[in-house]
Parts: sequence; structure tokens; C-alpha cells
Amino acid sequence: MNVHMSIPRRWAAIGLASTMALTAVSGCSSNSSSNSGSNGGSVTLTWWHNGAQDPGKAVWQSVADAYHAAHPNVSFKISPIQNEQLKTKVPVALQSSDPPSIYQQWGYGAEAEQIKSGKLMDITQQASSWISQLGNAAAGWQVDGKQYGIPFDLHIVGFWYRTDLFQQAGITAPPTTMDELNAAVTKLKAKGITPMSIGSKDKWPDAFWWEYFALRECSLDTVKNELKALKMQDPCWVKAGTDLKALLDTKPFQNAFLGTPAQQGAGSSAGLIANGKAAMELQGDWEGVTMIPLTSDKNYASKLGWFAFPTVTGGAGTPGVALGGGDGFSCTTKATDACPDFLKYIASADVQKKLVTSQAATLPANPAANDAVADPTLKTVLKSLQSAPYIQCYFDQALSTSIGAALNDAIANFFAGKGSPEGIVKAFTQAVANQ
Amino acid sequence: MSVSTPRAAPGRDYRQSRAAGFTYLAAVVVIGLTVVPLAFAVLGGFRDNAQINTSPAGWPHPWVFGNYREVVTSPTFWRAMANSTVIALVATALTVGLGAMAAFALSRYTFKGREGLYTLFVVGLLFPLTAAALPLYLLLRQVGLLENPLGVALPEAAFSLPVTIVILRPFMRAIPGEIEDAAVVDGASRLGFFWRILLPLSRPALVTVAILAFVTSWNQFLLPLLVFSDPNNFTLPLGVAAFQTQYTQDVARILAYTTASMVPALAFFVLAQRRIVGGLTGSVKG
Amino acid sequence: MTSRTGGLAPTATSATPAGRAHARPARRPGALRRRLELTLLLAPALILFVGMVLAPIGAAVYYGFFKWSGFGSMQWIGIGNYRRALADSVFQHAIGHNLIIAILSLVLQLPLSIALAMLLNRKMHGRVLLRLVVFAPYVLSEAITAVVWSLILQPDGLVDQVLKAVGLRSLIHEWLANENIVLYTLFAVITWKYIGFGIILLLAGLQGIPTELREAAAIDGASSWQVTRRITLPLLGPTIRIWVFLSMIGSLQLFDIPWIMTSGGPANASETMATYLLDRGFRRYEFGFGSALAVILFLVCFLFAVLYQRFALRRDTDGAMTRMVG
Repeated sequence: MNVHMSIPRRWAAIGLASTMALTAVSGCSSNSSSNSGSNGGSVTLTWWHNGAQDPGKAVWQSVADAYHAAHPNVSFKISPIQNEQLKTKVPVALQSSDPPSIYQQWGYGAEAEQIKSGKLMDITQQASSWISQLGNAAAGWQVDGKQYGIPFDLHIVGFWYRTDLFQQAGITAPPTTMDELNAAVTKLKAKGITPMSIGSKDKWPDAFWWEYFALRECSLDTVKNELKALKMQDPCWVKAGTDLKALLDTKPFQNAFLGTPAQQGAGSSAGLIANGKAAMELQGDWEGVTMIPLTSDKNYASKLGWFAFPTVTGGAGTPGVALGGGDGFSCTTKATDACPDFLKYIASADVQKKLVTSQAATLPANPAANDAVADPTLKTVLKSLQSAPYIQCYFDQALSTSIGAALNDAIANFFAGKGSPEGIVKAFTQAVANQ
Repeated sequence: MSVSTPRAAPGRDYRQSRAAGFTYLAAVVVIGLTVVPLAFAVLGGFRDNAQINTSPAGWPHPWVFGNYREVVTSPTFWRAMANSTVIALVATALTVGLGAMAAFALSRYTFKGREGLYTLFVVGLLFPLTAAALPLYLLLRQVGLLENPLGVALPEAAFSLPVTIVILRPFMRAIPGEIEDAAVVDGASRLGFFWRILLPLSRPALVTVAILAFVTSWNQFLLPLLVFSDPNNFTLPLGVAAFQTQYTQDVARILAYTTASMVPALAFFVLAQRRIVGGLTGSVKG
Repeated sequence: MTSRTGGLAPTATSATPAGRAHARPARRPGALRRRLELTLLLAPALILFVGMVLAPIGAAVYYGFFKWSGFGSMQWIGIGNYRRALADSVFQHAIGHNLIIAILSLVLQLPLSIALAMLLNRKMHGRVLLRLVVFAPYVLSEAITAVVWSLILQPDGLVDQVLKAVGLRSLIHEWLANENIVLYTLFAVITWKYIGFGIILLLAGLQGIPTELREAAAIDGASSWQVTRRITLPLLGPTIRIWVFLSMIGSLQLFDIPWIMTSGGPANASETMATYLLDRGFRRYEFGFGSALAVILFLVCFLFAVLYQRFALRRDTDGAMTRMVG
């Protein structure tokens, strides 16, 4: 559901939420277990999702109601749980004998880790007839060829920018190369406009930069193979750091960016864009919606544009490869076959359209619902997503939690002027060794 | 020690009035430093998010009442308020009750292993609840206290016990032995002395530890987060988190929510702190 | 200072020796009954405490010997987690940050708390209101405190605007983004938040000092500074020692405010032992390593407590034999 709550937010040590969640360790119990209605009787599915507020809360409720109407023997016990808290509760619930039947699942490395609990349901069989409609996107929710969950929406990271500020600075077309991007920074600065905003306090926005440079410097095979093998041996990883250093040297970011949160309040990096205090930000597709409560400018959306991460001259990366991810759900072994069937329903074009029109999701996982995307900027984003030859999951989600966090930390320190391009690679290697 | 002496009329001499002036000046500075951030929070609830950022100083313009209205008309807020209150009261009662009993034993009895026992309680201070979270959770699950207010109140009381005992023990010790002797002469038992004389005399310290226990419980986030999944059981701090908009942290609404949720804790303090005043006077005059 | 007040000074709050029951053995109704009383008084607290506090500590010690992500099997690695922690420069710095906060508390917060407590103990108009105001930040939850202060301290936030308005533009800093300043910024916020706690503690202590003592000294011609120094402070001794103890422990366990305001950043400049613990242990799901860190945090506090108990708090037990009698 809500898009922007995607993975990266895991690290978002946002004020409250974080306290909250973060503190915590562990999760929670689920008293509410589903009783496996093995005898064909009625089944109750307990469902944890992060739509603690509308529209997400209402949409998922209506999805459950509709499913229940069609399958009267399946009822739901839904716990909408705030995102950070959910991430705290799930791991511990999976250690208990009483996990929820369905819970929000972001796939990739974290899912692979959760599987070790033995509590996730392998739905390969049950999904075989319909999983293809999600296309390649479903692959992120597979581990060792087995399907342990599905995405219900997709994400992609790129540049959100203010068309009005670009115009003021005399930038006629969105940059497509790093040189053009640097030129744009210079022009914006000349007009006294802050070229870019970034929420460095939360660390994961920093990581987007380094990861994108890595995708541009490293060949696609190198990225795939070395991440899988947990080795960063190719010199291209260090080059990513060198590129980042060059960018940081142009000082494109807002004042005191190291202390700026990504999404909290009008002074956050998202808020700065929403209020026209900065011209562009490297962020996910969710950023447009994130801005809604951060500005009193009702027309801010019409002043936004989007462009993909520029190319880097001489880089070995496949052009158009993008950074992204998605939100999804997994069933646990506490659930019955009703659960995969319910996932099938969520993946259907009808539900997918409903998610998009209600803004509970920005980019649907099922391409059949693409028509529902109405906002012109989001259409650009969608086009970019569709034309990308490959979507690389954000590294902190693709890798196991501890390695991903260590990498984010090293990159964040690099933004603060600590460490070196080699240091980032070293931090990764060290985290792998500690695992 | 009744050294009653005529008090110098205040303000009569110059030195004293200057001191009084200084006192008030200091008071004003303290109030300023304390109140401005608080006012920022209270007034922030009357702004929208953009205002909070663009004009943090000065009055809200225009005044936005929607945030507070939404908070006080939301049934979730009141339910969370009730949950928080019950848990905080139970935790406070347990801490103060059990803590006072233990502190009494540790301060006015002599027995083998007393200091060792005291040290054991002090050890509890050295281990913050955050660090104990995971094992504590596993324990609560085992004994079936999840989704139960006691699952929060009991550990909170347990973790507040050390500070309670550390504060109460010297206080109870300080009460002159003659008072106890007199009580005994009047025929009171040891426990009777504890109940009828020591506890009332320890009131300032009891109030202090009660306030501490109450506030600690009131603001506790981690424990309720682990124990409760059902939104109906949420406490106020969990409610704040659930009160965020879906898309981001709606700062203005959070400020309104918090301001509203601060009121009961402050009210508790006002009621309790009245009792601090003059608490010990009886004893020293004795 | 007169001999009368001088003679009384060392006594007061610090009190009756705990062992005074010794003095009157005859009065005791019998060993059995005494034992019953003790059981009745101590058992409930002890049971609660052992079950909810000591048992988790024991569990943490156990988990600390394993490599464990929270999922799947646990791998015994002996003291590997401890070795890793002590070798980590981020953790070493974190300990240093805790110590800086502890020292600052002692040097700045303590005198300020005492001064404010004495101020609030005076008879003056609006005293109740003043107490309420000073105490209010303590009631505010850590999460909200952090959010409010983050807003106030953000670039061009309230602090910056005020400084600009009074012509002190040059004092404006990147309060939370400058790694050389951030720790001190956090200390200011912590002081704002927790000073109310120290004050109610000290106020309770001040209530225990008979006003007659001060008045008598004043009549004998002592200046108010002399009265404070010779009478009030010594009599506040036990309370101050408790405050120091709690404040040091609190500084060593500092968590919420840095966690929310800075996440320990920038570049780990505001990392504390507890933020490091939570980050590694729980945000990264290294439960074994996190447990080991919890044990280290516990041991550091324990070491401090033992030393403090030995050299400072002991005086409350042994000192002051004279009784305060009218």
C-alpha cells in the first residue's frame, strides 16, 4: 500500500515513528492466530499490513470485505500497523508459534532471511496459474526458485524536480547525463536556488546516490553476480564512490543536509521540494504523495516533473537500469490455502486498479492496471519503469538486513566527509564477514 | 527542634529586596527557556505543517483548529487515554506499594544479607528496559501476558522498583528513631508504625517516586509496542504513531495529539506536588 | 555561623543509622514474627523484580554468546561478540560520548538543578505555577521532545530566527548537522527535558530541611550564601548523591533523544552505547551481538555503581550519627 512506505523507510529514523519502532526489537505476538480450518470449515485469516491510515486502511478493508462476500467461509482479522512498528513486530512474531496468516512483505534479502524461521508458506504451486500476470516483478519475492510472496505495487527511484525553478534557472530540458546535471546545478546556484534536497539524517536517501552510481559504473552482470556472491571485487564499486565524491564536491545540497529528515515535516527533503525551497531530489515514486501534507500549496503537484538518473560517461552500466523495489504480502504456515487464493485476488487487475485510483499505491504490480495511473508526472514515472531493462532492488533490501544497514552507514558517513570510496567497499566486506 | 523565631519582615532591608528581585528575574528566565519550546508545541497544534516551517515564531496565522478538534473527537484518542491511565495507575500503585514495603524492610530492619539485597535492587537500575526488550518479550509471551495491560504494567513496575527503593531508603532512614520509639510506647507494632507513621512522614519522597513511576509509564513506548497488536489496547504513545497520516509524519497533528495527551500527566503532577509541600514538617517538629 | 547551627548541620536528613534496631533488641516481638514481617515486606517486590528484571538480564547474557539473527539457529561463538564490540571504533567513540554527557551533567546540570530547586523552594508568588512549568518538559514524552526540538533547531528554525532577530547571526550553527556541535546541542535538549526530574528530587530533599535551621542561622548573622553553603548543601548531601547516581546512570544509558533527533549521526558523532546497541541488535537483527552489547552496557553501569557505592553513597550509611532531636 502506501508506496512511499517502501523499504527504504525501514531505516527512516523518523521522529516518532522511529522511536517507536526502532527502538524496538522485537515484535509482537499475535494472539490472533488463524485457526487453520482444515476441515473445510470456516477460516479466519489474520492480516498485518502497514496501512495504518486511510486510504490504505479503508482500501484493504474493502478488499477483504469483497473477498469475504465471494468466499463466505473466509473471514479476516485485520491489524493495520504503522510501518516502522510493523517491521519491528514481524521478526519476533515469526519466531513465535503464532505469526499472522498474511503480513506485509518487501521481498528480496529480508524475505530470504525470514524464510529461515520456517514460518513462510511456499506458494509456488498455488500461484503457478496466475503469477505470470505480474511479470518479472514477482521474481523479487522468490527465493531459490520458490515463491514466498507477491508484490502488489512497484517502486522506482529517480529525480523529482520543480519545473518552475528549472524554468527560472533557464534549464530547458531535464538532464540526461551527469555533465548536464552538473550544469543544471551551476545554473540553479547562479539564481540563488538550492539545487538539490536530500534527507541525509535517514541515511537511506544517501544510499540511493551511491547505488545509482554503482549501477552506472558496473555492468549489469557484475552487479547481479557480485551482490549475490557478497563480494565487491570489481573496481567499478570504488568508482561509484569517486563519482559520488565529485558530486558532493559541487555542494549541490541544502544547508545542514546532514541533519535533515527525509519525510518528516515541511523542513524535510520532501517538504523542501513541495514548498519550492529546493529544485530536485533523488527519491522514489512515492515522493509526490509524501508531499501532500507538507505544503499548503494546493497546486504543488502541477509544478513537479520527473527524470531518470542520468548516464555516467564511460560507465559500464547498461543504460536505463533503475533502482527500485515494491510492497507485497507473504502467507505464513499458519494460513490455509485460502491465503494464496486471497493473494491471487490482490494481484487481479480489479484490485490493482482500485489500489491505484485510491492512491494506496502509485505504480501497480499488475501491468493490466497501468491505465489507472492518471497523474501526468506519475505516467512519466511508469513509462520509465516499463522501459527499464532491469530494476535493481535497493541494496539495503536486496542484501540481508545487517549488511544493508552497514552499507547505508558507510555511505552516510561518506556524505559527512568521513571515509573514502574504498572505505564503503571495505565496510561492505566487513559486514559480510560479521554476518 | 522547635526553634520558632520571629521572621524578619520581607522586603524590609535593601539586601533582601534585591534578593527577591533577583529571584523573580531568575524565575522569568527559567520560565522563558522552559515555556518557549512548550508553547511551540502547543501553538504548533494550531498551525498547519507549512506554517510550522515558514513562521515558527509568532502566533499561528491563521489559527487552525482542525488538528485539536480531530484529536478530541476521535474515539481512538480517548480509548488510548483510558488504556494509558489504567496502566500507569496500576504500575504506579505497584511500584510505590511494593517499593515502600521493601524500602521499609531495607531501611529499618537489620538482618543478614540486607546490604546484598539492596545491592541486588540497585543492579536493576543498571539495565535499561530497552536493553532487556527481547528477552522480556519472550518471557511475557511464555506467561501469556501479551495483549494484557498487566503485561505492560508489571514490567514497568519492576523496572521502576530500583529507583523507588534507592530514593525511599535514605528517606525512611532519616526519620528519627525517637518517633519510632514513641510509637512503640504507644503500643504500635512494627507494621503499625510503618503504616500509620512512617508512610505519612515519607510523603514527599513517596510523591516523588509516584510521579517518576507515573511519568515513566505514561511515556513508555517500547513495551506497549511489543505487547499490544490490537489497536484497541494501544496506549497514547502508540496512538501518536498510529495518528500519523499515511504518507508522512503530520507534524501539526502530532503536536496537537501530544499536547492533549500531556494534560493528564501534568494534572497528576499538580495534584501530587501539592502534597510535597510541607510533607515533612510534622516530623521535624516532633 | 553559630555553634548551634554548626552542630546540627551534619545530621539531619542523612540520618539514623540503619542498624538502630540493634539498640533495642528487647523490644522485638520474637524472631519468627520478625521473619514473617520481613517476608511479607520483601517477597512481593523481590518476586516481581527477579521475574521481570533479573531473568531478562540472564537471558541477555546467554544470547550474548551466540551469533543469531533472530531467525533460525543460533551459533555459539563464545566471547566473539564481545571482542568485536570492543574492537569497533564506533563503539569506543560511543562510550566517549556517554562519558562527555555524564561529565557535562555533573558540571553544569547539577549546580543548575540545585539553584533552581532552592529558588522554587522559596516563598514567592506563583511558586506552584513555576514548579509546574519547570516540571512540564519531564512529562513530555521523549519522542515528542525530540520532534519539537528538531523543528526548533532545524536550519532557519526558531533558534536561528531568534538569533537573527537579536543580531547574533554569527552564533547560528548547523545545530544537528555539525559533528563538532551535535553532542552539545543534544546535551542542551537533555538538560531541558530532565532538569525537572532533578528538581523534584531536590525539592523533596529541601522539604526535609527544617526552615528553622536557616532562619536561626540568618538571625545569627550568616549571609544567605553562608547559609546555603554551610547548612543547605550539607543537608542536601544524600539527595545530591542520589541525583548524581541516577544522572550518571541515565547518561550512560542515554538513548531516546539522540536516537530520534540524529540517529547517532552525522557520521556517528552522537552515537551512544544504547543507540549503538539498538541499531546493531535490533535494527540490523543481530540479536546475539546486541545482547552482548547490552551486557557490556550493564557492566559499565555496574562498575560505576560499585565504585560510587563504595566511595560516595556509603557515607549515607555510615555517617551522621547525631540525631536530630528538638
